[in-house]
Amino acid sequence: MHKVLMVLRREYFESVKKKAFWIGTLIFPFFIVGIFAIQILASAIQTDSAKRIGVIDATGRIAAPFAEELSERKLKDGSPRYPVEIIEPGSSTEETRIASLGRVESGELYGLVTIGPDIDEKENFRLDWKNFGDKRTEDALERAIQDHVRGIRLERSELDLDPKKLGELTAWVRLNTYQVTDSGETKKKGFEEAFIPTMIFVMMLYFLIYFHGYAMTRGIIQEKSSRVMEVLLGSVSPNELMAGKILGIGLVGLTQVGIYMISAYAARTAALFWWNLGDLERLADIIAPGKLLAFGVYYLFGYFIFVSIFAIVGAACNTDQEAQQLQLPIVGCLMLPMMTTFFFVANPSSLGATVLSLIPLFTPMVMFMRISVVTPPMWQIALSILLMGGTVYLFFRAAAKVFRIGTLMYGKRPTVRELWRWSWS
Amino acid sequence: MDAAVVLNDIRKTFGTHRAVDGLSFEIPRGTVFGLLGRNGAGKSTTIRMIMDIIRPDSGSIEILGRPMDGSVKDRLGYLPEERGLYPKMKVLDMLEFFGSVKGLKPAEARRRALPWLERLELADWKDKKVEDLSKGMQQKAQFITTILNEPDVLILDEPFSGMDPVNQEIFRNLLLEISQSGTTLIFSTHVMESAERLCNQIALIDRGRAVLSGSLSSIKRKFGSNTVQLEFDGDGAFLATLPGVVKVHRSKRFVEINMADGEDPQRLLEAAAARLSVRRFEVMEPTLHNIFIDQVGPEAE
Repeated sequence: MHKVLMVLRREYFESVKKKAFWIGTLIFPFFIVGIFAIQILASAIQTDSAKRIGVIDATGRIAAPFAEELSERKLKDGSPRYPVEIIEPGSSTEETRIASLGRVESGELYGLVTIGPDIDEKENFRLDWKNFGDKRTEDALERAIQDHVRGIRLERSELDLDPKKLGELTAWVRLNTYQVTDSGETKKKGFEEAFIPTMIFVMMLYFLIYFHGYAMTRGIIQEKSSRVMEVLLGSVSPNELMAGKILGIGLVGLTQVGIYMISAYAARTAALFWWNLGDLERLADIIAPGKLLAFGVYYLFGYFIFVSIFAIVGAACNTDQEAQQLQLPIVGCLMLPMMTTFFFVANPSSLGATVLSLIPLFTPMVMFMRISVVTPPMWQIALSILLMGGTVYLFFRAAAKVFRIGTLMYGKRPTVRELWRWSWS
Repeated sequence: MDAAVVLNDIRKTFGTHRAVDGLSFEIPRGTVFGLLGRNGAGKSTTIRMIMDIIRPDSGSIEILGRPMDGSVKDRLGYLPEERGLYPKMKVLDMLEFFGSVKGLKPAEARRRALPWLERLELADWKDKKVEDLSKGMQQKAQFITTILNEPDVLILDEPFSGMDPVNQEIFRNLLLEISQSGTTLIFSTHVMESAERLCNQIALIDRGRAVLSGSLSSIKRKFGSNTVQLEFDGDGAFLATLPGVVKVHRSKRFVEINMADGEDPQRLLEAAAARLSVRRFEVMEPTLHNIFIDQVGPEAE
């Protein structure tokens, strides 16, 4: 035990004493938040330029009010967001449309709206454009047509109704979403509000597990290439060495996570104390103590599950390049849950989310994801922890076996099949 | 006297290569023991098995009267052939670490390291990073790591390889000093001159088997005190054909002649003097070098 502690002590202090550790710890959260900030910023910049819309109107009645309504939508500098150009339909609407497509293709027009003569025909309204994903523009154009088509239909029906009044009467309803929590309170919450913070936490989990896991691989490779490994094995057993390293690097990670948890908690407490605002309370919910605790717990399990595999990679490889190749499957296992975040935040209790959150390799990130949206049933959390515990034990044993054989092998890198055989021998 | 290390019929195979093939010998306590053999004879494998870094396929090893375990390991010092230190650590911190994994408290390891640093002229470097040290200084630091725990048995694999003559001399003297304090020294080498100067016990191994083992003096006796060194001018080719001559080893300036038991060296001197101008004639023990060549050299096959 003394020897394990001494190895742990060296691993820990050699990392924590470095300036790079503290700089990394400080910068890391800004880095993650920065990724999102850049995305949001980029999309803001993109939508903030004028988009020229062409309209061909066979009815001759919709184009003008359509243009007028759209002209009310302004950019930040006050100029119209959607300048409209009315294109005369000529003898054939369809021919004019086809003739104008070149202007959409060249980018001169952002979109080309074509309105056929029969407003009751389903295929009558058409938008030709390049940028399919721009839901915001699509909505704006749709709404601008909608109101006037409704006006025409109303007129035709000979009911004596004021189109404006009707507009008010049939206005779209917007659902304000609230989340019901376990304590029975309800909190106002939308998809973005659940998605972005969850994604930030999940990405932090990913990077932390990967960084500290790979630190294990790198440490072993360095000890092999500096030939210090055999000197060490003259004093400690391979199991003691591996245990000391895993715990030492684990403690480095825990220090980092601890710093984040404590500073997040402190910031939250201070903010709630000084400015007790309704909006802030919603923000504070993102870093509620329970969520921070779950983050710490799932980080630790994630680290312990993956570090054994990273140790196997280190024991099997002699150079960083070899290790980079061999670790790809691990990175895959870590990436998969991250890519499911978008879907699982929307459906945290779906069968897929439940199953994936109970597969130990994916549990840390998927279960944390579920917890941060809707608390899953207690038995599932308990089962996931049990399964992860068992996995940690199995992986640790396998890694110890490979470690014993692999640490003194300098020649050819063993194949994955050989590694597998050593693991369970 | 009881044994520091007992090897009992140990075997180790790597793939199809038999690295150690039924090796047995005893190393008495307090001796300086040389494990001799050509490159690839199985010396390092044997030493690694003694250190429990690799395990024999069969056979048993006893160290200080007990099978190997963690507490026995703490009473050993080990310098592998491939030396290694942590390049990014400070010298004293690193010594503290290597002492502490031998069971010392960190503060105690530090306290013991300081006089050694002083003595080997590294005191000014104790807070420098290991990678900033010269190769010779790193060898000194490496040596300190192996003796901080004041081992009962110190095991060194090719300790003098890569050392300049000055460092070799420093370490030879240090090893003799450590040996006088009662520590059993075990070292492997293929350089017979070092072994001759340090060892009182040897085992000569070849292809994983012990060819010879025992005290150096008894081995030399076994190979005859009937060895003659002869320094002369002229063509000495006929010496090999003289009656009673078993073997002639040629060096640059002299020849070493093994004579059959019971032959009188005086008759050789007379025969040589008749045809050569003899400058030196000496009856002596055979050198380890020549015993080595006789046993495992190309002619022995």
